[in-house]
Amino acid sequence: MSRPPLKTPAFVIHFLNYGESDRIVTFFTREFGKVKGIAKGARRSRKRFSNAIEPFSHATILFSRRDENSLAVIENCDVLNHYPKIRADLARTMRASYMVELVDQFTAEGKKSAAIFQLLEGFLGLLEAGHGAEETTLFFELRLLTLSGYEPMLEQCILCGTTIDETGVTLFDTARGGIRCSKCSRGEEGCIPVSTGTVKTLLMGNGMAPDRIPRLILSENAIRESSRILRHFIRHTLGREPRSLQVLDEIKKMM
Amino acid sequence: MTGYAPPIRRLIQELSRFPGIGEKTATRLAMFILHTPERDAARLAESIMEVKRKIHFCPVCFNLTEGDVCEICGDPARDREIICVVEDPDSLVAIEESGSFKGTYHVLHGVLSPADGIGPESLRLRELVERIGVNSVREVILATNPSVQGESTALLVTKLLQGKDVAVTRIAFGIPIGGDLKYVDSMTMTKAMEFRRGM
Ligand SMILES: [Zn+2]
Ligand SMILES: [Zn+2]
Repeated sequence: MSRPPLKTPAFVIHFLNYGESDRIVTFFTREFGKVKGIAKGARRSRKRFSNAIEPFSHATILFSRRDENSLAVIENCDVLNHYPKIRADLARTMRASYMVELVDQFTAEGKKSAAIFQLLEGFLGLLEAGHGAEETTLFFELRLLTLSGYEPMLEQCILCGTTIDETGVTLFDTARGGIRCSKCSRGEEGCIPVSTGTVKTLLMGNGMAPDRIPRLILSENAIRESSRILRHFIRHTLGREPRSLQVLDEIKKMM
Repeated sequence: MTGYAPPIRRLIQELSRFPGIGEKTATRLAMFILHTPERDAARLAESIMEVKRKIHFCPVCFNLTEGDVCEICGDPARDREIICVVEDPDSLVAIEESGSFKGTYHVLHGVLSPADGIGPESLRLRELVERIGVNSVREVILATNPSVQGESTALLVTKLLQGKDVAVTRIAFGIPIGGDLKYVDSMTMTKAMEFRRGM
């Protein structure tokens, strides 16, 4: 016998079509972490799922499962937010897709994290409110890395430990996951140039609640440098490039 | 499945590769084939091979076709200056069955799906842009599905056609005919309001 259905707010972080009309959906839920389930008839029955099974949709879901390791049966979805403004804009849709892909990649099934849930909620909210897609993504990446235990060392040199205020930063060491001071900057593979200003901006943003992020003003250079180091570091950590980023690159090339 | 003779096992295995077919259904289908007269089975095998041998993409619109170009592209009565962009042949068939469209099509064979690594290069987008230049196309109708993926694909096509001398339109979304407002979800309702028209 299956246990009584469970109810929780959730984000759709991945889905694939299954059979004629079903979908296998991965949710990131507030109460249970990542939950994978089957939504029977999701591509036909609008009523039960009210169009909620779409990338990055926010919904209250009702599901049942035998135990934590078995595929859940999604019984009902009630949309909390469709993010209409994100959906109406290609760049924002791509960024939102990237965010949920990262959550999928950096979390394990059955491991609850209210902080990651709030992070996603907060940053999708920023995208929906029209805040710059690129800088929003940066702080999302950094925060997610931090919350999932891969925080890059930005306060002090990863080799000698001097703080950035003492000597300044020159490189980000992707393999070691931290910055290098000017004394330890002898070129090594996998190191990316980065300026002290950029690192300080990242540090400032990493401690901020999402709703305060828009107050940070980033220079073009800071955005470029930060996205480069974070992208390299994420690729190094995952062992591959996130798929949404490859698609984003393809789109940029085509324009 | 181990109780079955190897040839039956192989058939079951092949059939269970079909979308939505599990081992149970595959076994049922295999049993049906086993008990069917030989000429029926031969016809099934032959039609599978025929599809593989004869069907290819129409070089103009990428619809599936047996001929050089598909029936629609080959029909002189169809309006070549209007192109309706669809995700897949199924959508094309649905529009054709309505009989409401007299233009031509462009089949993308997919939609943007960033999480699965499906980007513009996996879709027939360059070919669409090239068509616009050649045939003095007046209008491109975007008829991808009203989903996040269909919508972002429509946005991408719109961007690619920006600056070209062609009207880009989107099919309307709204209340299904014979439907009842009280059962319509809020997203559809919002779209129905957005796409309202003058009387
Ligand atoms: Zn150092
Ligand atoms: Zn054709």
